[in-house]
Amino acid sequence: MNKDKIIVAITLGIICAILVFVLTVQLRTVKETDITSIENMREYELKEQIEIWKNKYEETQAKVNEDNRKINEYKTTIANNQEANELLTNELNQTNTLLGKTNVKGEGIIINLNSDSSNIIAEDLIKLVNELKLAGAEAISINNKRIINITDIVDVNSYILINGERTNAPYEIKVIGNSQYLMSGINAKGGFSDLVKNNGKSISIAQERTVEINKFDGDIKLKKMKID
Amino acid sequence: MIIVVSIIIGCIIGALIGFNTPIIPYTFSGYLAVAIIAALDSVFGALVGLEKKKFDMKIFVSGFFGNAILAIILTYLGERLNVDIYLAAIVVFVGRMFTNLSILRTNLIEKYSKKKANKSK
Repeated sequence: MNKDKIIVAITLGIICAILVFVLTVQLRTVKETDITSIENMREYELKEQIEIWKNKYEETQAKVNEDNRKINEYKTTIANNQEANELLTNELNQTNTLLGKTNVKGEGIIINLNSDSSNIIAEDLIKLVNELKLAGAEAISINNKRIINITDIVDVNSYILINGERTNAPYEIKVIGNSQYLMSGINAKGGFSDLVKNNGKSISIAQERTVEINKFDGDIKLKKMKID
Repeated sequence: MIIVVSIIIGCIIGALIGFNTPIIPYTFSGYLAVAIIAALDSVFGALVGLEKKKFDMKIFVSGFFGNAILAIILTYLGERLNVDIYLAAIVVFVGRMFTNLSILRTNLIEKYSKKKANKSK
């Protein structure tokens, strides 16, 4: 009788242990698994998730395309602006060069003028500049002062004012232009060279491959002049 | 008496082991759940058997494991066929649990009222 009871008791105990064991394992598993994560889903749940993600993907894709299109638009606009910018900058540089506001270099001649028995006066320089321009000079500087269209050359007492700055003999005149034409222009019979030598001043002319002339330093102020 | 003690000891041991083992993958937990319900139904059936003095150990143990295994097999089959067979198993087991519980309840209450009637006599 007792033996039977013991067997029954033990069996019941074992079964109870198994039951409770399985129960706790199951409870813990359910508590700790994230039911909403994709790795743990059943098939129909996965189908739903796929639908949702597909829609999200398509929306995002459309948005990305839209943004890319806008970016390309902006890029072309910027490129156009840059082109316009470049054109303007080039034009500005050219205009400045023509005005004489940039450093320039090129082939040309260098003239050295000195006084022998009579002083060099402004009129000599003015004549020289005129002759050079006639001979096709593109840039002229006297003692490193750039001669532009509104440059004045005047006598003051013992020295000459160019661009409002004092200069003295000897004068180094740098010219950029076709050196052949320039040489023949100055050296022509009855031209500036003869004139100067006959009047007691000395002149020496040299052809140069590269003549560097600095820019006009001052400001060009417009007070009365307006664009028509 | 010893039976009650052994049951209690069994529960404690099961709980201890259960808290310390690692959790199982989520897909298996589906099968385990149905097996638990089948086992619980078998336990209730045993309780009713005890009440009617018709308790047979062998039937209880075989029912316990047999029901659990059958439930797991049916769930697996249902998953393969894409038919939720486990639902039917749950309905049946829980239904039987309710039936057994009501039998128990009826018997106990009858016993209790009989005792009261005898006492007052």
